[in-house]
Amino acid sequence: MRNRNATAYRFLTPYLLIFAIFWVWPIISSFMISFQATRTVPWRFAPGFNWGRLIGDPAFFNALKNTLLILVIQVPVMISLALVMAVLLNSPLLKARGLYRFAFFAPVVVGEVAYSAVFRLMFNLDFGIINKLLNSVGLPKIDWFSNVTPAMALIMIAVTWRWAGYNAIILLAGMQSIPEDVYEAATLDRVSKFKQFFYITLPLLKPVIVFCLVLSIIGTMQLFTEPFLITERGGPGGGTETLGLLLYRQGFRSLNFGYASAVAYTMAGLAIAITLAQLWLTREPK
Amino acid sequence: MATVTLNNVIKRFGVFEVVHGANIDVKHGEFVVFVGPSGCGKSTLLRMIAGLEDISGGEIAIGGKVVNDVEPADRGIAMVFQSYALYPHMSVEQNLSFGLRMTGNPKADTDRRVERAAEILRISELMDRRPKKLSGGQRQRVAIGRAIVREPQVFLFDEPLSNLDAELRVQMRVEISRLHKELGATMIYVTHDQTEAMTLADRIVVMRAGHIEQIGRPLDLYDNPDNQFVAGFVGSPKMNFINGRIVGRDARGVVVELAGQEKTRITQPLTGAAPETGNKVIVGVRPEHFGNAGEGDADLVVAIDVVEHLGGTSFLYARTANGDDVVIQRDAAKVPDTSEITVSIRKSYLFDEKGLRLR
Repeated sequence: MRNRNATAYRFLTPYLLIFAIFWVWPIISSFMISFQATRTVPWRFAPGFNWGRLIGDPAFFNALKNTLLILVIQVPVMISLALVMAVLLNSPLLKARGLYRFAFFAPVVVGEVAYSAVFRLMFNLDFGIINKLLNSVGLPKIDWFSNVTPAMALIMIAVTWRWAGYNAIILLAGMQSIPEDVYEAATLDRVSKFKQFFYITLPLLKPVIVFCLVLSIIGTMQLFTEPFLITERGGPGGGTETLGLLLYRQGFRSLNFGYASAVAYTMAGLAIAITLAQLWLTREPK
Repeated sequence: MATVTLNNVIKRFGVFEVVHGANIDVKHGEFVVFVGPSGCGKSTLLRMIAGLEDISGGEIAIGGKVVNDVEPADRGIAMVFQSYALYPHMSVEQNLSFGLRMTGNPKADTDRRVERAAEILRISELMDRRPKKLSGGQRQRVAIGRAIVREPQVFLFDEPLSNLDAELRVQMRVEISRLHKELGATMIYVTHDQTEAMTLADRIVVMRAGHIEQIGRPLDLYDNPDNQFVAGFVGSPKMNFINGRIVGRDARGVVVELAGQEKTRITQPLTGAAPETGNKVIVGVRPEHFGNAGEGDADLVVAIDVVEHLGGTSFLYARTANGDDVVIQRDAAKVPDTSEITVSIRKSYLFDEKGLRLR
């Protein structure tokens, strides 16, 4: 038995080496770097330097507030939307289901830069289609990129557009794994379709919904692309700067890797804490 | 409680017809079993009675009222599914009461019905458990309990014992039989297992490929099958079929010679139109209708392949000279030690080439 394990480990060695060098070491290294003052040459060990700054840094709290705001508003809206989409996709009345499934999933495979560029065009103040549509129904134009609230809304719309279909496909798979005869039994029990959704589909889908929520929480905590590309590096004036963007700015623009590492660990810690709280709140009763 | 009448019921999936005009009359309080091989349309027929499948043609009446366009919940039926179809996220008690709670039935009445069902099925101590914490047999009881609380006119069972092991199946079979006596309800039960059909049914409906082959009491089907299919389907081990040929007629009837056994001739007292001499026929003999040489209508030499001893009885798996497989039932004490024996045919059935019963 021991011999067989040794052979297996020898086969695994190349992978384990790469894993150790490019995954484990950076994780450890960045943790250590977070305790160093990296704006001086050479770097010096100063445990309170970055972590202390974090506590009093208005830029950090601005990024944290923005990230949590997006998380609290966008994630529930997106998952609810995904649920509605999954129900529609699951309807036996729907024709060309494969086409819709592809269409809903497509945003995930579109290049981030391309989709961001299209969003910038669509939401352009003067010639964007969104403002033209608003105008055509008698609403005033919105300057999506110059005001904080519309800019935040734009980020949420973009992220929702990109990921709602993806979550809908996961939820659809969950729905399709619920046996048909459970619904037939409910139909014989005179339970309406509406009640069947709330009393059968939703409870049985709970593990899948929680899975989607956890994925989305982790994704939103790391949100970077949309505020970087669509609202131009967290604009206007840091109004849409997220933790991911702050990390980037500190690490790769100011080359302050110590502080960037502290931000990175905070993001990971928050994602874990929120996910654990989420799992605890939605745990199965024994 | 109520009658169930199927009048020329047809089911089509697209252009494909799967039930070709079924006519069945289920009496009040009767236990009727639909039996047949996989894909014969028995479950489809049951689902049409339940209202879970649309009816493509004909009429279904429950309690004298045509229910073709009546919602499943309004038909006065309850159904037990093969996979139990329990709500996995609810306790046993919630599973039983769910339908009643959702439709606003008074709580006191719901509690009374749930309690009664739990008592009948002896699941009172399981009420707080979830389905995944139950054994197969317990789940099946809960599924039946869910049907009982609805207090239906007709119970429908769709292969309810298929997912249970052999021992539990026998136990649950007895329970369902007891339940039928206790409730006195009309029950329609679908199975592919002829033993279940024989032991449970007041009447059996034998189906094949969307057609009803025969309807009758279990022993009537066993003793008087209308065709080779019913003869082969009812009874375990199944009836033996030996190829033969009409070689002539005498005062007592037609004379059949078994293929490959020129000396074995059986005279079948056929009245009316009989097949012509030279026509091929099939002789059916049940395993227990073989006797010792010289005891019956004709003697037959068979080569023994395998002997199965079940205790009191034994089954001899053998071949005729023509290669037809036959199973012979014998008392364990009377199994010979030779590789070839002569047996007599004490009782036999005669079918024409198409499988229709001649006698």
